[in-house]
Amino acid sequence: MDIIPQIIANSIIAGSVYTLIAVSFNLIYGATKFFNITHGVMTAIGAYAVFFFGKQMGLSVWVAVLIGVLIAGMIGWLLDRFIYRPLREKKASQLALLVASLGAFTVLQALIAIIFTSRFQTLTHGVGVQKTFEIAGGIITQTQVLIVIAALVVTAGLMFFLKCTRFGKAVRAVSDDNEVSKIIGINTDRIIGIIFFIGSAIAGLAGILVGFDTAIEPTMGLVLLLKGVIAAIVGGIGSIYGGAIGALLLGFVENFGIIKIASEWKDAIAFGLLILFLIFRPRGIVRT
Amino acid sequence: MSILETKKLTKRFDGVVAINGLSIGIEAETITGIVGPNGSGKTTLINVLSGMLPFENGSVRVNNAENLRVIRPRNIPLYGITRTFQNIRLFEQMTVLDNIMVVLTKRNVFSALFERHTAYRLKQAEDVLRAVNLWEKRNDLAINLSYGQRKLLEIARALAMQSDIFLLDEPFAGLFPEMVKTVSGIIKDLKDHRKTVVLIEHNMNLIRELCDHVIVMDGGVLLSQGVPERVLAEKKVIEAYLGK
Repeated sequence: MDIIPQIIANSIIAGSVYTLIAVSFNLIYGATKFFNITHGVMTAIGAYAVFFFGKQMGLSVWVAVLIGVLIAGMIGWLLDRFIYRPLREKKASQLALLVASLGAFTVLQALIAIIFTSRFQTLTHGVGVQKTFEIAGGIITQTQVLIVIAALVVTAGLMFFLKCTRFGKAVRAVSDDNEVSKIIGINTDRIIGIIFFIGSAIAGLAGILVGFDTAIEPTMGLVLLLKGVIAAIVGGIGSIYGGAIGALLLGFVENFGIIKIASEWKDAIAFGLLILFLIFRPRGIVRT
Repeated sequence: MSILETKKLTKRFDGVVAINGLSIGIEAETITGIVGPNGSGKTTLINVLSGMLPFENGSVRVNNAENLRVIRPRNIPLYGITRTFQNIRLFEQMTVLDNIMVVLTKRNVFSALFERHTAYRLKQAEDVLRAVNLWEKRNDLAINLSYGQRKLLEIARALAMQSDIFLLDEPFAGLFPEMVKTVSGIIKDLKDHRKTVVLIEHNMNLIRELCDHVIVMDGGVLLSQGVPERVLAEKKVIEAYLGK
C-alpha cells in the first residue's frame, strides 16, 4: 500500500493542530512582544474543562466544548489582568514577563494534575466510535476533519478580524507601536486583555480537539507549545498567516522526515527545522 | 491665557537632569516655538507633556484643569493634546488610510466592531490625507512611503485627532521645500482654526515666520522667552547656539 497519501493526511492534521497554537501564540506575541509560555497550558485547561463538564458532569459535548473554550479564554484574560498587566505597568523586562509566565504555567499545570491526576484520559466515550473517511487514499477521522476545518476557520477568521474590523485595526496598531497607540486614545490594556482572551480560547480549542483525537494529560501543553512556537518562528513571529504557513511546513517536514526512520525522531526534526531557520532565515518565511 | 503650563518641572535620567525646574506657559490659540541647542531638553519636554516619560518633580496644568503630577499616555487625547515625533512613529504595517482610520475608531470595543457612519469617517480621513497630499497613496503601506511622506502622514494622523493642542517635534526636518510649504500652511491653518501649536524647530527662519512666541531652552532650563525677533537677537541665545 502506498503510504504517501496517509503521510500527507497526517502532515495536514499535525499542521492544523500547530496552526491553532501558532496563530494564537502569534496573536498574543504580536501585541505584547513576549514569549507567553502559559499559552501551552491553555490547551490542557480547555481539554480538562471538556473532560470535567462533558465526561464527568455529563453535559452534551458541544456545550462542554463551548465551556472549555470560554474557560481557557477567561483564564488567559485573568492572567493578563492580574500578572502581565501589572508587570507591564511597572515596565518589567521581557525576561521578567517570561519568568512570570513560566511560573504561571507551572502552577496551572500542577493544579490540573492535582485535580485530575496525571493519568492519561480520553474525551471520547470508547474506542472506535469515530467515523473515518478515506480521502485520496488517506484515512482521516471525523475529529481530524474538525481539526483541519477549525484551523482553516480560525486562521481565516483572525485574518479577516484583524484586516477588516475597526477593532482589528486597533489590535494591529497596538502590535505595531503600543506607546503611540496609547497617545492616540486606544485603550491598549483592554485590547491586550481581549487578545489574551481570544488567543487563549483558540489554544483551549486546540487542546480540546487534540483530546478528542488522541488523549489528554496535564503536561500536554508543553509539547503543543513547543511545536506551536517552532511553527510561529519558522513562519514569522507575530504574523497570523506566517504562523499558519510555518505550522503546515512543520507538519509536513515532521511527517515526511520519519518515513525511513523511527518516529521518535519527530521532535528532533522539528527542532532541526527551527535551528535551520534561526541560522538562515531568522525572520521566518514571511519575514516579520 | 495659558492653555498649557508647567511649574518647576524636573525630569532626570539617572544622574542627568534633562529638565530642571522649568516653569513655562503656552498661550491658547498661538504658535509657540521651542528652540535650543541639541540636548537642551526640548524633546524631553514634549515627551513629558505627552505622558511618554514620567517626571520627578513639579506639575503640569492643561486647560486650567487641576495640576497634574502624573500624565498617563492614554489620557493625552482626553486633555486635548496630540503630538508628532522627531523620529517618525507610524503604524508601519498598516496602509496610509488605516493609519488615519485607526485614529477615528470609536474607543468602545463593540462600537468599533459594529459602528456605522463608515462613509463619514472615510470623508474625515480623506480630508486630512488630502491636506498633506497623501490621498493618492492611501492604499500604500506606511513603511513603503518616502521619509517626507511618512512625516506628512504623521502630521495627518495628528490632524485627525482634532485636538486643541498640537505638539510638533521637528515637523520640517528632512522635508523638501514643497513639503515645507505644505506643513507651514497646515500649521498656520491650525492657528486660524483656534488651535494651539507647540513647535520644536531648528530653522530660525521658520520660527520667525510662524511663531507668535518663542521659548529658548538650554541645559534643561528656560534661557529666554518672548517675541521671536527680540528673543532670537539676544546675545545669550546666540551664545547658547554658537558658543561664547
